[in-house]
Amino acid sequence: MCLNPNESTPNPSHFEDSDQQIANPAHRELAWEDYRELIKDMKFFDPHIHMVSRTTDDYQAMRQSGIIALIEPAFWLGQPRTGLSSFKDYYSSLVGWERFRSSQFGIKHYCTMGLNSREANNEPLAEQVMEILPLYIYKEGVVGVGEIGFDDQTAAEEKYFRLQLELAKKAKLPVQIHTPHRDKKNGTERSMAIALEHGLDPSWVIVDHNNEETVKSVLDQGFYAAFTIYPFTKMGNERMVKVVEQYGPERIMVNSAADWGISDPLAIPKTAALMKMRGISAETIRMVTYQNAIDAFGKSGQIDVSDFGSDQSGEGIDKFHGNSILRGGQQLNPSKESLVIQ
Amino acid sequence: MSIHVQKKLWAVILSNTLSSESEWLEQRSQSTVMELMTGFVAAPRFLRKTIIQTKKNESAEEFPSPEEISVTDWSLVRLCRVWLLLKLEELDPKHFKQNIETLFDTAEINELVALYSALPVLSSPEQWLFRATDAVRSNMGLVFDAIALRNPYPSKYFSDQAWNQLVLKTIFNDKPIHLIMGLDRRKNEALAHILSDFAHERWAAGRVVAPEVWRLTGPYMNEKLLQDMKALFASSSADNHRAAALACGESTFPPALALLEEHPELAIQIKTGTLNWSDIEFKELNTYVPQP
Repeated sequence: MCLNPNESTPNPSHFEDSDQQIANPAHRELAWEDYRELIKDMKFFDPHIHMVSRTTDDYQAMRQSGIIALIEPAFWLGQPRTGLSSFKDYYSSLVGWERFRSSQFGIKHYCTMGLNSREANNEPLAEQVMEILPLYIYKEGVVGVGEIGFDDQTAAEEKYFRLQLELAKKAKLPVQIHTPHRDKKNGTERSMAIALEHGLDPSWVIVDHNNEETVKSVLDQGFYAAFTIYPFTKMGNERMVKVVEQYGPERIMVNSAADWGISDPLAIPKTAALMKMRGISAETIRMVTYQNAIDAFGKSGQIDVSDFGSDQSGEGIDKFHGNSILRGGQQLNPSKESLVIQ
Repeated sequence: MSIHVQKKLWAVILSNTLSSESEWLEQRSQSTVMELMTGFVAAPRFLRKTIIQTKKNESAEEFPSPEEISVTDWSLVRLCRVWLLLKLEELDPKHFKQNIETLFDTAEINELVALYSALPVLSSPEQWLFRATDAVRSNMGLVFDAIALRNPYPSKYFSDQAWNQLVLKTIFNDKPIHLIMGLDRRKNEALAHILSDFAHERWAAGRVVAPEVWRLTGPYMNEKLLQDMKALFASSSADNHRAAALACGESTFPPALALLEEHPELAIQIKTGTLNWSDIEFKELNTYVPQP
């Protein structure tokens, strides 16, 4: 929820306050279909994507593009929650129904659990959420506490950010920090300072939604720097290529943060193709689109790469999890081009 | 709760765990309710991700029987979680129902699997009837499987209506019904007739029906089902012919018996015991894939 009285957008998503226009996207000459060949042997890990708001078409496209595992951070609802049950059902869905949905497409689904900063502003409810949060963070496949941090940078946000940092420390889990859209630079510095103040090892903390202005300080202080490729907004993938050229692959990771706003679940494969085109080495691409995220969130002890769907083609996915779990012979990849639906 | 089953499960656990794992389990089971419940949740952090072996060596303690609880092919975590639930009941019988409800309400997929697997060995199992039917409603494959397949609970406690839903959904989900325990014992007329309607819908859609489902129809054969048997015999699938022959052979409906006699080879195979339902029990069904 957003209690900022000046907030006018009804459903702001990750990067709601872009001043760029949605019309006239640049580089129309580069068609994804023409360049996906470049990444056909690569595999990807999206460490930040909100699949509850995505369709099965997205899941199929992601798998076909080489995404074999992902992390779904606990997010806000888009509108105010009216009670604790709403949180319980949401958290359960992250380790239940959504995990199953993802498995149907051969994509290993992990999540991070946390109270979102916007929702931290409803203090009476936030108090109750903190009581049930410990029930969820120890669950199998929960790879961190997140996404937490600042939105409006209110006192309530700070209070629950600190409480959740302590929770992460106790549970020996990495932390996924959402950095604010407004007053970003200060918010990012403040988030890092508080994490250090609570004694967290910066190599256990992933600072998300970086840009050219924030990245240096994040890396210099030993944190992981995540970049969100989100169309028409803060981070485009051409700029991402430049960041990687400048800073190299160490402790940098790319994500899509695709959600219910206009966003792109294929942001990682597209960025990888662009990196490849621009001559960035295969190893560097692998680090920033796959390995670094596994190293960072793998500190939870919850990531086992042998669980990832290994078959690039998406065939044999019904054996995922060692069990036949698709409803019958449901075709895995019905052709989107076919007029006939069987 | 059965102390008896708890001990047998522990015997299986001991034959499948490292000492560090069994020590962790013992320590958790003897501490507080909260520690034990957290242990149930956090089990994958302390136990190896492995499938248990249930082949006994001669000196092994007694293992549970499938009628009590079927642990075949379980993961170690699932096995240990079920045991922890029994210990939870022992530790605090007064709040046991409430504690189990909490675990259900906050469970992730594999925890749900363990909870549903444990239902047949908890005390007063009938109090979990609503939960159990909820698992049948689940679209999470592993959760559905945990109640429907190799679990003695439904056949013991489900009403006919709930039982029929379970069987029909298993068929609809293309899962092998011979893994449902008590399938033969809980056959009923309503189910046989719903099945006939179901087959007609499938056939109208150009899809097929797994041949073994007809094992549910034999004793309830009537004019309508007889037409289905004829359709099976007329199909190009040898397994359908076998299914029709077996179903007719189990019938007392004279026209069905007469129909079987029109297929003497199959009739003889049934008589001599060289053909039975296990010959058409398949695990890979794919009845939704359009047939050529």
